[in-house]
This record gives sequence, C-alpha cells and structure tokens, in this order.
Amino acid sequence: MTRTWSRTSRVIAGTATALAVLTACGGGGDDTASKPNGPVTITFWGWAKGSKDVVDAFNASHTDIQVKFEEIPSGTAGGYAKISNAVKAGNAPDLVSIEYSSLPEFVSSGALQDIGGEFTEAERAKLLPQTVELTTLGGKSWAVPFDAAPQAFFYRKDLFAKYKVQAPTTWDEFKKAAEQVKKADAKARIATFFPDDPTTFEAMAWQAGAQWFKAENDTWKIDTADPATTKVAAYWQGLLDAGLVHKNASFSPEWTGSLKNGTTIGYLGASWGAGVLKGTLPEQSGKWAVAPMPSWDGKPASGMLGGTSFAVTKDSKQKAAAVTFAEWMSTTEEGVKARIASGTSSAFPAAASLRPVAKKAFDASYYGGQDIYALFEASGASINPSWSWGPTTGTTNTTIKDHFGKIVQGGPTIADAVKAGHDATVAELTKRGLKVEG
Amino acid sequence: MKARTRAAAILLTPFFLLFTAVMVVPIGYAVWLSLFTEKQSGLGFGGAETVFSGLDNYTAALGDRAFREGFGVLLGYCLLYIPLLLVGALALALLLDSALARARRFFQLALFLPHAVPGIIAALIWVYLYTPQLSPVVQAMEAGGIGFDFFSPAGALPSIVNIALWEWLGYNMVIFYAALQAIDRSVLEAATVDGAGAWRIAFSIKVPLVKASLAMVGLFTIIGSLQLFTEPLILNKGTGSAVTSTWTPNMYAYTAAFDRNDYGLAAAASVLLALTAALLSFVVTRLTGRRKAGKERTA
Repeated sequence: MTRTWSRTSRVIAGTATALAVLTACGGGGDDTASKPNGPVTITFWGWAKGSKDVVDAFNASHTDIQVKFEEIPSGTAGGYAKISNAVKAGNAPDLVSIEYSSLPEFVSSGALQDIGGEFTEAERAKLLPQTVELTTLGGKSWAVPFDAAPQAFFYRKDLFAKYKVQAPTTWDEFKKAAEQVKKADAKARIATFFPDDPTTFEAMAWQAGAQWFKAENDTWKIDTADPATTKVAAYWQGLLDAGLVHKNASFSPEWTGSLKNGTTIGYLGASWGAGVLKGTLPEQSGKWAVAPMPSWDGKPASGMLGGTSFAVTKDSKQKAAAVTFAEWMSTTEEGVKARIASGTSSAFPAAASLRPVAKKAFDASYYGGQDIYALFEASGASINPSWSWGPTTGTTNTTIKDHFGKIVQGGPTIADAVKAGHDATVAELTKRGLKVEG
Repeated sequence: MKARTRAAAILLTPFFLLFTAVMVVPIGYAVWLSLFTEKQSGLGFGGAETVFSGLDNYTAALGDRAFREGFGVLLGYCLLYIPLLLVGALALALLLDSALARARRFFQLALFLPHAVPGIIAALIWVYLYTPQLSPVVQAMEAGGIGFDFFSPAGALPSIVNIALWEWLGYNMVIFYAALQAIDRSVLEAATVDGAGAWRIAFSIKVPLVKASLAMVGLFTIIGSLQLFTEPLILNKGTGSAVTSTWTPNMYAYTAAFDRNDYGLAAAASVLLALTAALLSFVVTRLTGRRKAGKERTA
C-alpha cells in the first residue's frame, strides 16, 4: 500500500511539475536600489568573454556608478529564458546582453525600454552603421551595439600546407579544397556543418544576399525561398551528401575532439571565434590562420554571426546609469581594452576608432602574429547591410534546428528545414496578430 | 470529540498549507495563464498587450502537429520500453530469487545502483557513449561491422529507451524481487515435491503469484512516461540529434515558454498534459482498486 501511495503521489507530483515549469520562473534578486547620496548601483547580466574584467575595470574607475555583474548562460543556452522570466517576474537586472538576432523579439515582447534619449546621435555615429541599424527598430533606439561579428574562416595552416591546399576565396574553391582535404586524409574534413546552430547557416544566407525578414509599412515580408538562400542550401546539402564536411554540434565535445586530433582542420565562424579557438585549443598555438569568408563571386562579402548589444530592461529605474555603463563598454578605450586584455575575447568592436585598441590588446601570436583585426576590418565593411531580424527568432531558429537534426542521406534536406522554419515564422507572426506576407 | 477535531485540524494544517502553496496555486495559475495570449500591432515593436483568448491556446496546442506528434512519440516509447522493462526486470528478479544468498546481495546492489544516478547525469553519460567520434562503444560496434547512428531519426527512440532502461531496470527488479520473496515457501516446496523443475516453478508458480506487481509496475510506468523530459532534452540540446525540441509534450511546453516566449501556449499544453495524466491516474487507481476488491471477495 505504501508503494502504491508513493507511486501515486509521484505521478501527481510529476503532473504538477509539468505545470510548475511554468510558474517557477523566479530570477535573481533585484539589487537596483540606489541610495540618495551614495553611488548608483546597477545590475548587469551577460555571458560574453571578458565581461567580468570589464565590470571590474569600470568599478575601479568610477565612483558615481557601481556595477554588479552576474554571469548567465549564453542566450540560446538558457540566458534568454532567464532574462524573459526575470522581466516577467519584475526582478530583471538593469542591463542585459542581447544578440542582434534576438533583440527584435525582446523589443516586441515589451521587455526593454527605448534608450534614444540617453544613447545619443553623437554616440551612435561612432559605431558601425550596420550594427546601429540592427538596434534601431520601429524608429526607436533599443540597445547599445558592442561588437560586429563579421564572418571569417579559421584554418590549420600547417595541415593545409601539408595537404597542399590553398585557403579558398570562393565557395567553388572551398568545395575543391574540401575534396582535396578528404583525399589527402580520409578522416579529415575542411569544416563542420552545425545541425544545432541555424545562425551559422543564416549568416551564410545573409552573406549571399538573402533577406529573410523585411518590414514594409505595417507588414512583415518573410522570404526564405529567394535565390540566395536556395543556392546556399543546395550548396551545403551537396557538401553533406558528398561527405565533405563533418556534421557535429557546435562547440560540442565531438567538435572539439575532432579539432584536437586534426580530423577537423577548419572552422567557418566569426571574429569572436579567434578568441574561442585560442581558449579551446591552447596547444595548437601558431598552427592556425584566419582567412576572409569565401564568397560566391570572389569579392569580399560577409554576413554577421552573433554580435552582442546591451539593452535596458523595462522596469529599470537606472536607465541613464545603465546606458552610461553600456557606452563605456562599447565606445571607450578603457572598456574595450579591459575586455580584450582578459585574453579570451577577440571581439571586433563596433566602434571604428577602437579597433586599433582591440588589435593592440589582442595577443595574436596564436595566429603567428597575423593581423587578424585588419582582416576583420575588411570583412566588417563588407557586411551586407540589407539583412534585418524579425521578432520571432526563437520560433524560427528552434524550428530550423529541429529539422536540421532530422537531415539524413536521401531524407529531409536543409531546404526542407528552411521551409519548416519559414512556415513556423509565418504562423507565429499571425498568431501574435501581426500582418504577414510570405 | 472537539479536542480530536482540533488535533486533526492542527496536524493537517501544515499539509494543506503546503499543498495549497505548491500544488493548488501553481495549477490554478497555469490554468489562468492558459486563457491569455499576447497580441501586438504594427510590426510588433510597440510592445505586447495581454488579452483574454478563451480556449484559443488549447485549440492552438491541439492543432499543432508537433504537440500531437509528441503523444505519438510517447506511445512508441511505451510500446518499446514497457515490455522490455517488465520482461527484463522480472527475468533478473527470478534469477536473483534462485541465486546463492551472497550473490543475491551483490547483484541487488549492483543492479540498483544506476537508479541512484540522477537522470540528467545518466543522460550526459549516455550521450557520450552515443557520440560517434568519442564513444568506445560506437567505435567497437563499427569495428565489428555494425554501423548504428544513435542520433538519427530511427535511432533516437531506442537511444532514449536504452537510457530509461538503464535507470529503471534495477529499481523495478527490486520490486519484483521483494514480491517473489514474499511468496510462501511451502508452495514452492510443494511444487518441488510434485516434481516441478526450476523453469516450471518460475513460470507456473512464481510469475502468476507476482502478477499484481507486474500489472502495477506496468501501469505506473505508463503514467511516469508521460513526464518524459530530462533525457530527451539533453539529447536535444547537446547534440545535433533527431530529438526535436518538441519531442515529448513536456518538452513542447518547455520550448513554448522558454524558446518561443509563448507562456499562454505553454500553460495550455501543460494543462492538457496534466489532464491526460489525471485521466490515466484515475483509470489506474480504478483498475488496481477493483483488483483488490475482487481478491477480498474471493478470499
């Protein structure tokens, strides 16, 4: 009888768990209270490399504002859920990190406040226009851009030389190089398709000129069946079908393992990847090099993969102080230097005048002293300005990720996954009461 | 009488307070949430407005193929998992029941140990063992000419069932073993005297006598399976596997709330799942209750 009871109560408890998932949404404590005469204290949530160092440097040099930093998981790994729950529960921090791709979603759920009054035109002019564009939604300014994330191709120059492969400049050459690598070592591949990460694919579509989310008047135009996306999808499907790239989850142990043992000899990433590789594979120092992203016509072209901005949450009473701190991180020499000098960040600042600072602070010996910031500079300028993000990134990307996982030889394809993402996006926008075409 | 009533009230108050705080209120809040949705206007950058939407979230969840497919996955999971679990646990219990006294204690502990490992840790260990480039198991299988992708659409369900079996086989084995130990030894002795061998005793005497435990473990496992969440979530998040973010109804609710930011839909999906669980619980309780009542009559 006791067993029946314990089992039954477990069943009931489990049923309640399903519901409790929804209600146990508490976030961290709210420590934003400011004393009338002391310094203003603000709370900041983020996960970008070097954030702690930046906060320490800020606190050491400021007496009027003090920042309390709390590290949260990266956005899609749970950070965004934590932020939205905290906003819902009314105990959100003052300032949060949000990637450009997710900013519209937060704006449309009403989680943020317009910072147009504090984040002035003069400050905006210091930053890469594409990033300002991505943080200006519906004519209002919602976040202070921190970095631009131009795409880049990282490769093992020692193994490329050994296999007599040139760093590719076009996607045609990339495919040929991939074949050469496989031929030279049956186990080695030039790069990886990340089935868990739609943003890498989106950046490639962006680079090719796609424009998935277009806001026209009062209507969202969703277009993923354009020639650019179709071309990119078919290209990657070809690489997968021919077994020319690995298919592993991004930053997973298997991906890292294959980099370690030299069976993956390249990585299609973005500027911040330089710091990640350095931190993940310290023993391969001097063996890596960076090349611009291969393009379709050989001319420089880039999408953006990631990239962080800082936004003020809806209930924050310290908007001015929060924006001051955000601007300090993004647009001052001290702020950028503190982050890059932490050794783990290779962020490419959105502020043009600070790139020399970043370059100086980044120890490029890992890349044999290559001037990687000059390369990012050129790539950054080539970021296709026509792309913008829609307010349903969560839905779009989760759906595409789900379908990327189902890709098998002769079964569902990348194009099918994109189509599914398209349909889910349109359905979600409609459900929210917005006008959609597509 | 009055004193007794007061004593009962005092003793029961903590229970009802906690019950209200952690059960009734959250469930009520979830039901409340499920009746609202967020609507926006223009391009959606003007913020959202929470409006009453009646049962719209329920029709949306039920109309979503992904949600319905989640129940399909659960059905497939039960069909594969429960027979394996029952047969496996019973076979182990029978072996243990006829083993030497010292071996008994060792195997009982060894088989039960996996249950002491939290589900999330178990899932992480198994993900490691399933990953082609890392796993010694996959490499050994490939060396032996067996190519099996644990993360593929066809491999995902067996992969999860395997983790669940590893976690629960020992636990249920202990339950069956206890039931077997409770069998009156004189019955077994009588069977031996009548000339029945070990097999005959196992199938004709022991199994029929623990049928009640079998039925109960089976039914409770079905209901427990409704909550399938942790193991597939790990396979979804950490790998590029075919386990989708809406693979089970519980995951559907989680994704709706935390990836799609749609709390109303998540609440509706949770309530639907809770109702399913309640219905099944009711059926199970009735079935086991009737069995007992029947037994008392015949006794």
